[in-house]
Amino acid sequence: MKSVLRGLLAGAALPALMVGSALAQDYGNFEGYTLRVKLIGGAQYEPLYATISEWEGATGATVQILSRKNHFELDREIKQDIAAGTLNWCVGSNHTSFAPQYGNIYADLNDLIAPETLAGFTPLLLDHSTVDGRLVQLPRHSDVSNLFYIKSLYEDSENKTAFAAEYGYDLAPPETWDQVRDHAMFFANPPDFFGTQFVGKDEAITGRFFERLVSNGGAMFDDDWNPTFNSAEGVAALQWFVDLYNAGAVPVGVPNYLWDDTGLGFASGTVALNLDWGGWSAFFNDAENSSVAGNVGVLRAPKGDAGVRTGWSGSHSFSITTTCDNPEAAASFVTFLTDHDRQMIEARMGILPTRTAVWDDALAEFAAAGDDFMVEVFSTFRTSMAEDAFTPPLIAEWIEVSNALWPRLQAAMVGDMTAQEALDAAAREAREIMEDAGYL
Amino acid sequence: MLFVVAVPLIFSFYTSMTSYRLTRPETIQDFIWFRNYIRLFENPDFWRAFLRTIVFLAIALNVELLLGLGIALLINKITWGQRTLRTIMMFPMMFSPILVGFQFKFIFNDNIGILNNALQSLGLTTQAIPWLVDAKLAMFSIIFAEVWMSTSVFAILLLAGLFAMPRDPIEAARVDGCNSWQVFRHITLPFLMPFVFIAMTIRSLDVARAYDIVAIMTGGGPAGRTELLWTMIARVGYDNARMGQANAMAYLSTILSIAFTYYFYTKLVAARRYMGGAE
Repeated sequence: MKSVLRGLLAGAALPALMVGSALAQDYGNFEGYTLRVKLIGGAQYEPLYATISEWEGATGATVQILSRKNHFELDREIKQDIAAGTLNWCVGSNHTSFAPQYGNIYADLNDLIAPETLAGFTPLLLDHSTVDGRLVQLPRHSDVSNLFYIKSLYEDSENKTAFAAEYGYDLAPPETWDQVRDHAMFFANPPDFFGTQFVGKDEAITGRFFERLVSNGGAMFDDDWNPTFNSAEGVAALQWFVDLYNAGAVPVGVPNYLWDDTGLGFASGTVALNLDWGGWSAFFNDAENSSVAGNVGVLRAPKGDAGVRTGWSGSHSFSITTTCDNPEAAASFVTFLTDHDRQMIEARMGILPTRTAVWDDALAEFAAAGDDFMVEVFSTFRTSMAEDAFTPPLIAEWIEVSNALWPRLQAAMVGDMTAQEALDAAAREAREIMEDAGYL
Repeated sequence: MLFVVAVPLIFSFYTSMTSYRLTRPETIQDFIWFRNYIRLFENPDFWRAFLRTIVFLAIALNVELLLGLGIALLINKITWGQRTLRTIMMFPMMFSPILVGFQFKFIFNDNIGILNNALQSLGLTTQAIPWLVDAKLAMFSIIFAEVWMSTSVFAILLLAGLFAMPRDPIEAARVDGCNSWQVFRHITLPFLMPFVFIAMTIRSLDVARAYDIVAIMTGGGPAGRTELLWTMIARVGYDNARMGQANAMAYLSTILSIAFTYYFYTKLVAARRYMGGAE
C-alpha cells in the first residue's frame, strides 16, 4: 500500500516538477498568496492565460481573475475603481493609449523589474510605455497596421492593361496612399466587390485619420498644445476617406465598422486592399476561415504626401497598481506573462511580440516550417515596428479629444459637413478640452 | 428609502455641479455651480440627442404595444400548445442586450450581413443598403432590434390581462349581436387599458436597457445620427471620465423619464376610473 501511495505521490509531483523545469527562470516563491488581477478578455488573448497555471505551479501562488473584459469595458471598470477607491487588486491589462488617463495608480516598473529583464524588450516600446518619466506598463504585444492585398488582382494581365490605360501608370502593389485610392477605385465593383475599407468609428477612425495626418506632414497639436489637425494636411487626410466613400470604393457601411468588420470583410474575399494589424495574418491565410487564403500579400503601410509611412501604433500591456499588497509577486507574474515562451505562443498567431529575441525566433520557426506567408508577414511588420511606428500624443486627454473628433470625421464621410468644416468643429471642441485640462 | 433613493439622487445632483472626473477623485470638491448645465443648454448635440430619444421611445413603445397586443390576442385564441408558445415567445427576453446588439449588427452589416445578401440574392436590390449608416435606416434598425427583444414583455403583461378578463360581458355582447371588432373595441380593449399603461410605465423606465443595443450596433453614429441620451451620457461619464457633466445630462434626462411616467400614470388612473376601478 505504501508503495502504491509513494507511486501516486510521485506521479502527482511529476507534472509540477516538469512545469518547474519547463520555466526558463526562477519566478520566486509566493506560497499561499492570492494575486488579484483584471485582464483583457477575448479569443485572441486567451491562449496566454491558459499558461497561468504554470506560474501558479512554479511559485505556489494563486491567481484570482476578477475581470476578463474587452479594453473599453475594463477601462470603465478601472475608472470606477479609481473613483470608489477600490484599487484592491494588483495587476491590470493596460494599453499605451489608455495609460496616461490613469494618473499615478500604476507603479513605476523600473523599481520592480530587473534591468536585465527590461533589456530584452524593444527600447522604442518601453519609451511608448513610459508616462511622465515612469514606466507604468510592461508591453505584452504591439499593434501596427500594414497593407494586406489580394495578390491575384495584381497578377491579372487584363487588370494591368486596363489600369495603365485609365490611370497612366503600371499596376503594382501600392507604395503611396494616392496609389491606394486609384487602385481601390479601379478594383471596386459595388456591392459585390470593394477596393478597400477602413474602420469608421470610435478611436479606431481617429487613429486612422491621425496616421494619415502624420503621413501628410501634419500633427494633432502644435508645441503649445493648440489643436492643429484642421490644417491643410488634415483636410487632405480626411478628404482621402471622403473621396473613397463617395466613389463607392469602400463598403457603404464603413462609418459603422470596427476591427472585426474589416478583418472578416477581407477574409470574405470581397475587398482588394486592407490596412490591418498583424493579429489577423494567420486568419487571413487559413483556408477554413478565409476565402483569400493562399492569395494574400502584405506590404509596409504606404506613404502619405510628406513621404512618411502611416504607422499608428500602440501596445497592449500589463501594469501593477501602487496599492498592490505584494508587488514582488505582481512583478513576477507580469514578467512571466511577457517572457520569451509566452510571447512565442502569441507570435505563432501573428501577434507582434515586444521582445527583440522573439522576433528572431518566431521568424526562424516560420522559416523552418516552410510558412513563407508568415515569414513575409513578420519581416514586414518587424520593419514597420522599427521604422514607421508612432503613438498618438501620450496625454490623459487623448481619448476625450478622440471622442470629439471621430463623430466629425464621420460627418464629413456621410456628407453632413465638408472636410474643413468637420475638422474646424472638432478643433474647437478639442481646444475646449485642452483649456479645461490646463494646457491652454 | 432615504439611503436607497434620496442619498444617491442628492449626491449625483451635487456632483452635477462639480467638475468631477472619475480618474481624479479630488475634483469632486471643485464646485462650479451651474456651469455643466449652462454648457448643456448651449450644446446643440445634446438637444438633438434629447429629441431623438423622445422619438425613439415613442416609436419603440408604440410598436411594441401594437405587436404585443396582437401576439397576446392570437395566443389567447389558441387552445392547443399555448404553454409552449408562451415559452417560445419569451426567448428574445432571455438574450442579453449585448448579444442582441451583436446579432443585429451582423444581420444589418451592409457587406457580409445576412439581410443585404438575402435581398441581393433574391434580386430585390442590386445595391448594398446602408442599414446602419443612413439616418432613417439606422434608427429603424436599432428600433427593430429593440422591438424584437422587448415586444414579448408587452405580450406577456397583456396576456395576463386577457386571462383575468371575465367572460360574461363578452358573451352578453355576442348575444346582443356585436361582431368581433365591436367586442374588441368596446369590451376587450377598455378592460386591457390599465394593463397597457402599466406595461407602458414599466417599459418606459426599463427601455434604457436598449443602451447596449445602440452602443454595439452604431455607437450613436454615424455622425451622431443615432445618438441617444444614454450613449452620450455613457461616453461623457466613462470614456471621457467627466462624471460631473454626465450627471448634469442625466438630471436633465430625468425630466424625460418623469414626463413619460407621469403621462402613463394619469392615463392608467383614467382607464381604471373608466372601468369603475379604484383611483
